[in-house]
Amino acid sequence: MRLNEMQRFFRDIMLDHPDALKAPPENFAGLFESSEIPLEERLKVYRGNIVGGLTEKMLSVFPVLDKLVGTEFLRGMACSFVLAHPPARGCLNLYGAGFDTFIRNFPPARSLSYLPDVAAFEIALNMAYHASDEEVFTLQDLALIPSWALGDALWDLRSSAALVRSTFPLRAIRDYCLNEVKNKPETLNLNQGGVRLMVYRPALEVLIVDLAEAEYELLNHLAQRLSLGEAVQKVLQEHGDFDLSAFLKRHMMLGTFKKETYRDEICS
Amino acid sequence: MMQDFSSERPASILFPPAAIPAEPVGIGLRAPYYQEALKTDLNLGWLEVHPENYFGGGIHRHFLSKIRERFQISFHGVGLSLGSAQPVDENHLRQLKDLISIYDPFHVSDHASWSTSGNAHLGDLLPLPYTHETLSALCCNIDRTQNYLGRRMLLENPSSYIAFDQNDVSEAEFMNAAAQKTGCLLLLDINNIFVQAFNHDFDGFEYIDTINPLYVGEMHLAGHTERAAGSEIILVDTHNKPVCGEVWDLYQHAVRRFGAVPTLIEWDQDFPPLHILVAEADKARTVIVRAEQERLFHAAE
Repeated sequence: MRLNEMQRFFRDIMLDHPDALKAPPENFAGLFESSEIPLEERLKVYRGNIVGGLTEKMLSVFPVLDKLVGTEFLRGMACSFVLAHPPARGCLNLYGAGFDTFIRNFPPARSLSYLPDVAAFEIALNMAYHASDEEVFTLQDLALIPSWALGDALWDLRSSAALVRSTFPLRAIRDYCLNEVKNKPETLNLNQGGVRLMVYRPALEVLIVDLAEAEYELLNHLAQRLSLGEAVQKVLQEHGDFDLSAFLKRHMMLGTFKKETYRDEICS
Repeated sequence: MMQDFSSERPASILFPPAAIPAEPVGIGLRAPYYQEALKTDLNLGWLEVHPENYFGGGIHRHFLSKIRERFQISFHGVGLSLGSAQPVDENHLRQLKDLISIYDPFHVSDHASWSTSGNAHLGDLLPLPYTHETLSALCCNIDRTQNYLGRRMLLENPSSYIAFDQNDVSEAEFMNAAAQKTGCLLLLDINNIFVQAFNHDFDGFEYIDTINPLYVGEMHLAGHTERAAGSEIILVDTHNKPVCGEVWDLYQHAVRRFGAVPTLIEWDQDFPPLHILVAEADKARTVIVRAEQERLFHAAE
């Protein structure tokens, strides 16, 4: 058997149902030396390393889900994800992206309608943790831009920034689960209203910023590569009292935008 | 609120240039040790990191920059999948090269194993048959890597829990051949040799004696775990325990044969306090010093 064929068989067996280890195809099983220890036991070590290792990696990314559904349920759900969606690359920092969509279609979790949004929130936090650092666009930089050029410019959110919107109180759920609430009540009201959030990392800590509806809309339009002028026009259609000046001041202070992209757009 | 935070400055500005550390023992730097490693005066020549943990950016790079200001570092990869029948992922190589250009490690290494098949990276170091076909595929990927990075790399011998029936050569001969064909150096993991010798019933001392001393550039020491398989035992390379006595014996033999090459204490799960790793490194230093004294004593005779 050629090397690529052996590796394909090995991969498929590892990502199959655990019972596949009991009776691997004969031409694959015949590749290995027989010994006192059955092949199944030897393959189990690899299965544990691969599926177990990747599942534990997933658990480290989703501490809130862990509290919400319990480690056993999360481990089962993560294991199903690993088997269906193994990593495509050797860098596992962002592994687990797509778990929110997976949960949405995972029958045992269907009754827990808030879980996919919580997963998306934790994915955003993990991405911010691992995102690259860059210079940000500041009020001083803004002052140097001629007013006629502002409207046409494209504004890139910094690499760590992600916008999260949900009809569930994600921030309260996270604080409650991770014990970041004083005088913690016995239960959490899931009907207290939804959230619009920006997750980002200005320095060594990932921060969560509450956004007003118009603010969220404008950032979302900019993230989808609308120019500032186009984005503001769209926001004003729904929010006539939107204050662009206050928005710019706040997000220059927060460091929401990349410096380089803005400069590139102006230069081009 | 906004801070100037840039950890990705050119190595030439921030860091001392890469050099094989005069003090030969080091430990693996993992996230639980970042703070203490920066605050403590560690009697260590170098620290090792998995480069994949720093791909793309992120908080970890801040700590790596601080560490690199004080220590020589090595990059010990776990994601290249050099033994795959398919070419090394160019995106992975690009990120590795970017990281090397920033942090200037004195060694860059990865494993004689495979992890990727098709579009799936299985996140483990998987076994290879020691055949001419495997050697050719492995050497192609080492060549690709060395050419892309513009530098010589080191190749680590694996642990495995399964043995192929179709091997053309022994593992030690296979490692020598890979080094001879590609010009890479070997990173001899002494615990892996012990695990292999136990699991596949050969003599670890003979393995060490088969390895060409000219190829050995680094050694690793780690702990392993016994796993029951019916009435038998499989040793699993878990990196979560102290180095066992038999591995220290093999290491002593290896130091006599290969000299004081940089030696690493690896610990990757169930992390103990940092001083435990440093104490293991002290033991390795003692072995090196004793071997050096023996060498001088014999030379004087």
